Amino acid sequence: MEDRTQKKSEMNPLPLSNWHAHRNAIMDGLISCLITAVLLIPLTGIYSVQDGGGLALKYRIWELILSIIFVFIGRFSLSLAESGHQKLSICGGLVLFLAGALWSGSHGIIGVLGILGGVLIVIRSLWSSQSGNFTGSLECIKKLFQNTNKQWSPHLSLIMVLIAVIFPFLPLTDRWILDLSILVMTYILLGWGLNIVVGLAGLLDLGYVAFYAVGAYSFALLAYYYQLGFWICLPLGALLAALFGILLGFPVLRLRGDYLAIVTLGFGEMIRIILINWVSLTQGPNGISGIPRPTFFGLEFKRRAAEGAETFHQYFDLPYRPIDRVIFLFYITLGLVLLAHFFIKRIRNLPIGRAWEALREDEVACRSLGLNPTNIKLSAFALGAMFGGVAGTLFAARQGFISPESFTFIESAIILAVVVLGGMGSQAGVALAAVLLIGLPEWFRELEQYRMLCFGALMVIVMTWKPKGLLSRRVPSVTLENIERTRTGG
Amino acid sequence: MALLEVKELSINFGGLLALDNISFEIDKEQITSIIGPNGAGKTTVFNCLTGFYSVSSGKILVNLGKKTFHLERMRGDQIARDARIARTFQNIRLFSQMTLLENLLVAQHKTLMRASGWSLSGLLGLSSWKKAEAEAIQLAEEWLHKVALIDRANDVAESLSYGEQRRLEIARAMCTKPLVLCLDEPAAGLNPRESAQLNCLISEIKDETSIGIILIEHDMNVVMEISDQVIVLNYGCKIASGTPSEIKINPRVIEAYLGEPDPETGGRISD
Repeated sequence: MEDRTQKKSEMNPLPLSNWHAHRNAIMDGLISCLITAVLLIPLTGIYSVQDGGGLALKYRIWELILSIIFVFIGRFSLSLAESGHQKLSICGGLVLFLAGALWSGSHGIIGVLGILGGVLIVIRSLWSSQSGNFTGSLECIKKLFQNTNKQWSPHLSLIMVLIAVIFPFLPLTDRWILDLSILVMTYILLGWGLNIVVGLAGLLDLGYVAFYAVGAYSFALLAYYYQLGFWICLPLGALLAALFGILLGFPVLRLRGDYLAIVTLGFGEMIRIILINWVSLTQGPNGISGIPRPTFFGLEFKRRAAEGAETFHQYFDLPYRPIDRVIFLFYITLGLVLLAHFFIKRIRNLPIGRAWEALREDEVACRSLGLNPTNIKLSAFALGAMFGGVAGTLFAARQGFISPESFTFIESAIILAVVVLGGMGSQAGVALAAVLLIGLPEWFRELEQYRMLCFGALMVIVMTWKPKGLLSRRVPSVTLENIERTRTGG
Repeated sequence: MALLEVKELSINFGGLLALDNISFEIDKEQITSIIGPNGAGKTTVFNCLTGFYSVSSGKILVNLGKKTFHLERMRGDQIARDARIARTFQNIRLFSQMTLLENLLVAQHKTLMRASGWSLSGLLGLSSWKKAEAEAIQLAEEWLHKVALIDRANDVAESLSYGEQRRLEIARAMCTKPLVLCLDEPAAGLNPRESAQLNCLISEIKDETSIGIILIEHDMNVVMEISDQVIVLNYGCKIASGTPSEIKINPRVIEAYLGEPDPETGGRISD
């Protein structure tokens, strides 16, 4: 044993000879198998079922064996990848991937883990071929990514938008995916809104869901009491939410950090509790149903029109499809997201955007330069809340029914997680994080009770790997182009 | 009429009288140094001038031809914006995650905000806004040249060395187009070469613009070399004021700096 470890440490920098490498890999695999077996026999191997009066033990022999085999293949290929035997390790990864795919139908989670493991191993072996060690290969990938990013970034965004535009008509897209993408885009809007307050202005807001609720309820109530449609309520909802943003802003102007977070948390709860208890106005916990769907220039997306009106499919002489309504909502959401993107991108480069960031950096210095912190904070709260309001209106239009239950603290926490995971102040990061945090948990519903476990693990991994968020690089609002010239000239 | 008049300024924190009945005047195109031992109240004077502390009694006036501002009644940001008093800080306060250029643009917030139509015409990208932005960038560029930081314009302020950060802070204060510039120990922590560069910069600002400069400084060589007027504080009281040569021989100043005169030697201090 001692002999082996010594040899290993001596020869580590160079690829080991075939025989040693294989022997080491097999040993590693066997040790991992043993650990897996010890862990999984009580965890997965045995389970109890109700049998008449008492409990009976049952066994999952197949799952156990399968997991142990998977672990062996995985560890074996990983060891090979580490010692530089690329081909064999890629083969191992592919075997794992295929096996995982084969069994993912019958054995759910094990298959999925197998697929993931296979992918990771293949990536690992490819990386190790680029440069000797792990961090080196990370750098390599980063460089590659940055270079392509520079060249392709304008094209890339255009391509992404095009994909988004034709997305509803792709063959894989069904109603469920469309619905999910609308939800994801709603969270992108929410994330961007909160990003103004938290990421740019540096004001930690734990009650952001309040503005989401204001947007949703203003649409629902205006529609219920005054029969107003979506298109009027959208700006009204945004305006009302912005107003509530200012309302929240005033009492918390002097607070910072933890204290601010607590007050905003309270504000979020207050709105929800008012919605629950003001039964005469909001119908309390029963919620409001029958919220009208968005119309296409007055044309409804229903099978049959009301008296004296026409529906969308009648007007354009199309066969009736229920999915049309979802596609339409998808486009509305997409349009609003694009609009929000350009709006925020622009405003970040305006003096007000720079003032938000300056306020985050140093409030005292801001005052000494003649910036009024009150106005700047209020404008951040108002604009952030406005996006919350828009998202809320969309949410109400998508659901057709809302109740205070949708606006609990956990929503605020998720939106904040989207911002933090994506990288404070980064537009693309927030969008990516919204896809990951909202899209993936829905996508992997098959994982059942493991779903939130995986979700948590993913967050922990990302936050240890990139503590500042996925895409945290700050792009300056303005740059000086001709520095070289001035340097030589002056 | 002097540009800035401080009349019988007093401030107390709880029971502590931090400034006691201080009066002085500051003219444009002059450098006024405030000196005194640690804890004498020098920075407190700055904090009163720039609205960070509210004054207990007394008046601070800024005379701008037609208009007179009563600083003791204004908020800090109003003082900086309307009465146009800019300052730097003893412990540097830059926007550390933002680039040098951005730091200097934030300083021009008032002008830019107006030009961007409170963000409206800026959002639409109107030409008037673009022109104003270009002008602001040009001004920032000029100042970056003056403080010899132009080649770092796109770097974040955090990445500058201590001396460079001091220079940037002065440039940022100057970008607000002030009438009075308050420099709080600008040479603290600088090496002799950087300190000499800084003196040149301050003299240059004095010569090229018509603003009044107030300087808190511990380095007596610097003070005596560049100031037109020196005010000496001790325990919150003004104990002397005058030209550098007058201050040098003032017995009360010598006492404050070197302690009680020794009765045995008759109070004379050898040079």
